[in-house]
Amino acid sequence: MANDREVLREIWEGKVPVCFQLDSEEVCELQAPAPYYLMVPRLSYFPLCVDKVRKHFTRHIQKDKQDNEMWLEFNGAPLKWHLPIGVLLDLHAIDIQLPWNITVHFDKFPENAIMHCQNKEVVESYFLACIKESDVLKHRGQVVSSMQKKDHNQLWLGLLNDKFDQFWAINRRLMESSNDDGFKYIPFRCYLSEEKYIQKLVKPVNEEGQRKKLGHLLSEVFPDQEKVVVRTHGITPLPETPLQWLSEHLSYPDNFLHLCLINWSPEVTSK
Amino acid sequence: MADNEEDSLPAVEVPENEDQAGDAPSESDAPQSLEPISSDTNLGPSDQSQTVANKDLAKIDVYLKATGNAPIMKRKKWTVSQDQHIGWIAEFIKKYLKLDPNERLFLYINQTFAPAPDQTVKNLYDCYGIDGKLVIHYCKSHAWG
Repeated sequence: MANDREVLREIWEGKVPVCFQLDSEEVCELQAPAPYYLMVPRLSYFPLCVDKVRKHFTRHIQKDKQDNEMWLEFNGAPLKWHLPIGVLLDLHAIDIQLPWNITVHFDKFPENAIMHCQNKEVVESYFLACIKESDVLKHRGQVVSSMQKKDHNQLWLGLLNDKFDQFWAINRRLMESSNDDGFKYIPFRCYLSEEKYIQKLVKPVNEEGQRKKLGHLLSEVFPDQEKVVVRTHGITPLPETPLQWLSEHLSYPDNFLHLCLINWSPEVTSK
Repeated sequence: MADNEEDSLPAVEVPENEDQAGDAPSESDAPQSLEPISSDTNLGPSDQSQTVANKDLAKIDVYLKATGNAPIMKRKKWTVSQDQHIGWIAEFIKKYLKLDPNERLFLYINQTFAPAPDQTVKNLYDCYGIDGKLVIHYCKSHAWG
């Protein structure tokens, strides 16, 4: 069970300043519109916090494009909206200077690179699918399936409306474990890039019943590597961090740990 | 999106020893397909397709099962490149079943959750594979959750 409430709070309140700019080719006036600045929560998803960005830019583009789906680009590549904002930030940290400059598009949707997201319900069903998957890993899915529809709704609305207490009143049940060993498996994704991540079964305890550390997880994911360093929520947790604690406190609202690889030796990249 | 049908098909390979390898389903074959797991499961993972070892190291056996109102696929067992994405498999099923490209198709793992479209077959197999294969249910409407 998650006890260190101040850690949960701190993680929840993480925000990043973003400067949105309309792609210059899509401006239909002589002068480009002013950029739009926004503080966005790291734990959220872009489609949940860019309504005002859309409103700000649509009147500056061609009329026939104004109903198009908006998409975002950074460093010449589309940003995957279904990754939490903090994960995108950690993945691109080396190239980002704050405020984070993001280009806004309404034209030429990159069909092959990102999923469509016409409305927030698409994010909701993706988010709840992630929660279900994480519970399959943690509790064989028994906690999620014992919940009612209104509980699922409360998790979603807590995230959507940035309500910590509302979210955690339900999420604490997903973070409970029935015995001292912790979860059955630790739900995590370890990103090599925005395109590729590794997910596998890792238990929070070893065969002798001792609690594992983050370092154990990383050596199970990258058996050929010695000094693997990952970033999450903008920090690089120490390899000595207890794995079960990490899962309970540093997971994203989807209940997965999202770990971005920032250091490994080059020979493995050829795999 | 669904233009290059012919190009993408060869990436899914049918085990060579599977019965009725013909591509054109005939009506008389259909009833057999009602068996969720066809008899070829007895052959296990070490069938002839494994003789090309290198090639098969990167392939994973995937079983595609219809649920709800979705049409059944005549062939259920496929070998798929481990780096292939789930979204690609959904597109493949739609083409195989000749569904409208705009029609939605939902895939489920463990009959519980819908995997992310950019999730790879390897990650899912590592987490949810059973008896050397990954079972994916597909449906034309929300089946679970």
